[in-house]
Amino acid sequence: MDRRNFLVSFVKLFFAGLFAAVCSVVFYIFPSRERTQNIRYFYLMDEDSLPRKGVRKVDFEYNGEDRTMGSRVYISASDKELTAFSSVCTHLGCFINWDHNKKEFICPCHGGRYGIDGNVTAGPPPAPLARLPLEIKDGKVYIGMKI
Amino acid sequence: MRKIFDWLDRKFGIKAPHKNFMKRPVPDNIGYSYCFGGIAFVYFLLLGFSGMLLTLYYVPSEKEAYKSILMITEEISFGWLIRGLHKWSATLFIVFILLHTVRVFVSKAYRPPRELNWMAGVVGLIFALGSGFTGYLLPWDQKAYWATEVGTSMLGTLPFFGGHIKNLLRGGADVGGSTLIRFYSIHVIYMPVFISLLLWGHFHMVKRRGIAKNL
Repeated sequence: MDRRNFLVSFVKLFFAGLFAAVCSVVFYIFPSRERTQNIRYFYLMDEDSLPRKGVRKVDFEYNGEDRTMGSRVYISASDKELTAFSSVCTHLGCFINWDHNKKEFICPCHGGRYGIDGNVTAGPPPAPLARLPLEIKDGKVYIGMKI
Repeated sequence: MRKIFDWLDRKFGIKAPHKNFMKRPVPDNIGYSYCFGGIAFVYFLLLGFSGMLLTLYYVPSEKEAYKSILMITEEISFGWLIRGLHKWSATLFIVFILLHTVRVFVSKAYRPPRELNWMAGVVGLIFALGSGFTGYLLPWDQKAYWATEVGTSMLGTLPFFGGHIKNLLRGGADVGGSTLIRFYSIHVIYMPVFISLLLWGHFHMVKRRGIAKNL
């Protein structure tokens, strides 16, 4: 390869790189579409076994991407509403437990406490417990998970 | 293309004063080590460019800073590329300034009549390091926080004014939200403007005084 050919291909390569750079910048400056994180619903329990009042621990299984996963939620029922709380502490991700006597969710790791409404009452958690969407259809309760 | 440029040049007059500059003689025995300064300048341009793009998404607040960094690297298309470009350009910018400094030192180009250019270069290096230090805080993670905590504490140990300088930089007694916004402002406005002005002077003196012969 002589110098002329080398320079010609070098300049071509330069412009190809420039084109790629301009393209990626164009993609960059346009706001990315909201990641519609798919909420998929999984069967949780029958409607009959929902708690009337108070909190109930529910272990369930769902099909993850390549295997069956187990998970746990707490269904909290008050006069007005029915809520499903994630069992993951918002502090460092330990599993919380429901204490029937104290009427509180207690995290065993660092003593984080949440009230029956999921709000933090004591300890280090920075945010209330995550709420998961529930759907009741034909007498069956389904829970929405982001996958 | 040529027509457009000629029209621009008739209004702007950039060609004539640069004619001699483009045709000026260059010493015979210079090599690739004379490119280090230019390479550092290319990194400076890349930093400015990628930095302008990063400001589109970065939010300099206590709550949002880390989140927006995560968003840039994980959600925005090619955000990882722009941020990576900025990060690595910053590192290589400093590396090539230092190599350039060594080259100038070895070829004795710091001697009169170029002593002022050496001084401008040293101040430029300090500003570049300042840019790096202020930029290091912006991701607002543990490493960033403690680096700034330690770095500003070191300034606090200076005699007489140390404490005041520390408070001035932190915008308060502790490293917090006001430090973040201060560092952000220094990083994206003050430092780039100062460095640009210095570089203008730096290049102007190179044009006027010429390139030193390799000894």
